[in-house]
Amino acid sequence: MEQGASTITQALISQTQTMIAAWILVAVALFALGILVYVAIRSRTRRVDLEKAVQAFRSLDIEAFRNLVDSGEEAFLRNNLSPKKFREIKRQRAWAALIYAWEAGRAAAALAKIGQAAQRSPDPEIAASGVQVAENAFRLRLQTIGACLHLLTEVVLPDLQSPSLPPLVDQYERTAETLFRLGRFPSREQGLVRPKSA
Amino acid sequence: MNWHKVLSLVLWITPHVLLGVLVVVLCKRRLYRQFPVFFAYVLYEIAQFILLFALYSIPGAGKQYAYAYCATLLLSIALRFGVIDEVSKDLFRESQLLKVSARRSLQCVTGLLLVVGVLLAVYAPGDNSGRWIAGVSVVNRGAAMVQCGLLLALLLFSRFLGLSWRRSTFGIALGLGILTSVDLAMFALRTAFASWVAVEFFNLLITGAYLVCVSIWIGYVLALELKPASLTVVPNDNDNAEVETWNRELQQLLKH
Repeated sequence: MEQGASTITQALISQTQTMIAAWILVAVALFALGILVYVAIRSRTRRVDLEKAVQAFRSLDIEAFRNLVDSGEEAFLRNNLSPKKFREIKRQRAWAALIYAWEAGRAAAALAKIGQAAQRSPDPEIAASGVQVAENAFRLRLQTIGACLHLLTEVVLPDLQSPSLPPLVDQYERTAETLFRLGRFPSREQGLVRPKSA
Repeated sequence: MNWHKVLSLVLWITPHVLLGVLVVVLCKRRLYRQFPVFFAYVLYEIAQFILLFALYSIPGAGKQYAYAYCATLLLSIALRFGVIDEVSKDLFRESQLLKVSARRSLQCVTGLLLVVGVLLAVYAPGDNSGRWIAGVSVVNRGAAMVQCGLLLALLLFSRFLGLSWRRSTFGIALGLGILTSVDLAMFALRTAFASWVAVEFFNLLITGAYLVCVSIWIGYVLALELKPASLTVVPNDNDNAEVETWNRELQQLLKH
């Protein structure tokens, strides 16, 4: 008698588990379906404002970002502030830098779209420039993930000391050099080019 | 013949007739060169239907039908993985960087999903009768989960990186995504509700979803590829410089 009751209980438990697992999978499937339909609808209605995207990128202040992640500044703050105050300021600086990196990533995604559109241009010069822009933008987008994670760690653990950054002026010079090599695309009216085709 | 049987047959036959139309469109637009695996998959689905329908029509061939169904289903699952791979290759085609890094990330996602799929097949309660047909159903459920996850990952990657889809590629991914997500839900529910009425109802839903999926494929393949977006603004050297500078800054930050 007791064994029979135990068997029934076990069967009920097993049935409940089956039901739970099934409904969890149904929920996952419906969630996936919802995302797919949403993306399909968005891709039909959404138009990226390219001009806005470029302006958004241009508005990002690299100097401010550099200042926020500057290890010299950090060392100065560490030496002149109480540990509690330093942690508070460090968190704020890391958070601000994180927002910069995040926005740079978003702008890079928009630039990548422009680069890809330019890549398909019949004008070989614009197409070549598009390839370059898209590749750089993809690289930047991928790097922002790592940077955001790094900065998030600093927000959570502000006491972690990071080694000093190499001189940034050198990087600027190297960048400028790269640009001269990249400068195949002619600058026109601060980067604004009128439509080639409708 | 009752209405239920008529509806089942209509939902079973119609998508395969439409697949024939899709083959014609793919040939006319020479898209079979661009999507050879997808083309093979479509042809295979038609051949599978002809075989299964022939067996279904022969009285007393129920066992043969079940064997053929399971065998063809497994190959169909394998081909779907091939289609997803083809879609991902097409999506990352324009970038050397993404060909390496994004595909590597996708491989990691695949590995993770495979582990979850295997765990699901091993531990998720279901029909434990040990019948091989139940085993095939569990495999299909796991595969549907992996494929659905992969397609979602592709969509999220593309959105995150700002990748542009070709219309036909997007259509293939969308149709397959809808099909696999419905498959996942239905095969999960089948384990919980095993009554004849429930199974028949789930079959109707699966074939209905397949019809939707094939219609999406035809719609997107027929739709003309959008012209390149008219460029009202093109990033110039200064923008490129800024991107480079940001890249270097972040690289330095990550070297910490």
